[in-house]
Amino acid sequence: MKNGILIFAHNSRDIDYALMSLVSAKFAKTNLQVPVSLVVDKSTVEWMQTSNIYDLSQEIFDKIIEIEKPVTQNIRVLNDGYTSKTVPFINSNRASVWDLTPYDRTLLIDSDFLIMSNRLNEYWDVNSNVMLSPAMQDVRGDRKGILDSWVSETGIPLYWATTVMFTKNNESKIFFDLVDVIRTNYNYFADLFRFNPKQYRNDIAFSIAKHMLNGFDTGAENLPPILTLLDKDLIHSVGKNQLRVYLNDNMSEDQVVIASIKDLDVHVMNKQSIIRNAKEFLEIL
Amino acid sequence: MTFGYLIVVSKNDSVDYLKLAYALALSIKNTQRKGFDKVALVTDNIKDVEKLKSPWVFNNVIEWNQETFWDGRSWMDKLSPWDHTICLDADMLFFRDYSHWVKYFIENSELYIPNKAYTYRGETVKDSYYRKTFEHNDLPNLYSFYTFFKKDSKLSEEFFSLGRHILKNPNEFKNLFLGNYLPKVVGTDEAFSLAAKILDIQDDISYDLEFPRVVHLKPMIQNWPWPADKVSDHVGFYFDLQGKLKIGNYQQQDIVHYNEKNYVTDEIISILEEILWKK
Repeated sequence: MKNGILIFAHNSRDIDYALMSLVSAKFAKTNLQVPVSLVVDKSTVEWMQTSNIYDLSQEIFDKIIEIEKPVTQNIRVLNDGYTSKTVPFINSNRASVWDLTPYDRTLLIDSDFLIMSNRLNEYWDVNSNVMLSPAMQDVRGDRKGILDSWVSETGIPLYWATTVMFTKNNESKIFFDLVDVIRTNYNYFADLFRFNPKQYRNDIAFSIAKHMLNGFDTGAENLPPILTLLDKDLIHSVGKNQLRVYLNDNMSEDQVVIASIKDLDVHVMNKQSIIRNAKEFLEIL
Repeated sequence: MTFGYLIVVSKNDSVDYLKLAYALALSIKNTQRKGFDKVALVTDNIKDVEKLKSPWVFNNVIEWNQETFWDGRSWMDKLSPWDHTICLDADMLFFRDYSHWVKYFIENSELYIPNKAYTYRGETVKDSYYRKTFEHNDLPNLYSFYTFFKKDSKLSEEFFSLGRHILKNPNEFKNLFLGNYLPKVVGTDEAFSLAAKILDIQDDISYDLEFPRVVHLKPMIQNWPWPADKVSDHVGFYFDLQGKLKIGNYQQQDIVHYNEKNYVTDEIISILEEILWKK
């Protein structure tokens, strides 16, 4: 069975997802020792060539899979420390991972997920067709809201699609097909599962699919929780498998905590912070 | 050896407890294995039982009118016709076969009262909103809604005798033992918990088990971020023609203690009857 990692990158005017994916892939390859492939669109490839990262990408990635760029009307507010911007968000094609993956067992990760340990290697042989992460853990520990744990206040648990591991077989096909049904009927599912449909979230669609295929109940095997740096947090400097960060307070800009994260996998929600430090990341690894 | 469930009801102006007991008995008959599906009813109005479409769901009907409302349940050991009994609250429904729990209790226990309840999402109830008396007076956290006992048992006899004595003399016991937080009413849960504490048998009759799993639908213990008056204000109840229940987005697999007494409608009764008749 061939194991591998897959990352999606569709650049927008504001965020260089390809560059982030390069950083993420280098971390993943170094620490898990498995091949990493990239799913991109034509305009992202063109930008990779213009910004001189395409050659390096060809070295790092096992395969670069080019697909049509999905059309999106999805927008989101992204913070970068205490500044924020409303940006388009191209994330609607994640369910196509089943068709696109070149691997038998795939770890799908977000491009802002940095694998700084070999912990996820323990899950390749787990006898479960689709595994998600059941929770996020705020690095600071005190900034998690109820909608970080639940799809709605009275509803089902929110799984995090930041990491998804699956075996390519008929059962996982049903899962991803269902994710796509949920995506295309998002308002209907929003009524049924009582969440705000304003922005399409893979986390929600994946959570609903998991819940439905589990007999409208919780349970089943999971990946580890996602250690998360919020988008108000800033990376100060980087080391080998280490980030030194400023953790911000939701209420006050003066209440900054300085922390170091070492040998732990971490979801860095402040994408610009990764991009600003990309050169250092790529040199160190 | 005989085993059966026991439901104790009495006439009440605002709630038709016989109707609730009938729905529960139908759901037991629909879901439990042979030998584990017998139900005895204790009622103060036997005539109304005869008016039900399928009164035979009650294997035994015992007329008894010495106590009213929940006080009657403390007489369960005297009233039950079975060697081994599980006494249930009337406002409950069964959704799958739980006979293996019963088998365990018959083989391993003389008296067992659960110390856990669950939310509709399957989480263990942690909130002590309705259990301040228990918390402040260090009472064992017993839920009498599912009480297993063996009839021929010294332990059960002592326990239920003391339980009855507490219910008969609530003020004395309240002032003596529950001074840190006085309950408005000493109900069966309080009386049983206090009896277990006084007899120092809580570890024998309520040790840690993963079953029985009973979903307790009181609104303030559902782990919601807001206060709630009724569960049904916030999540839907969807009862289908197969007798399955979804609450919100959750398929219910465990015993549901629904608490909102008007939940069991004539339509739900008809569905349960239909399933049983076709069985």
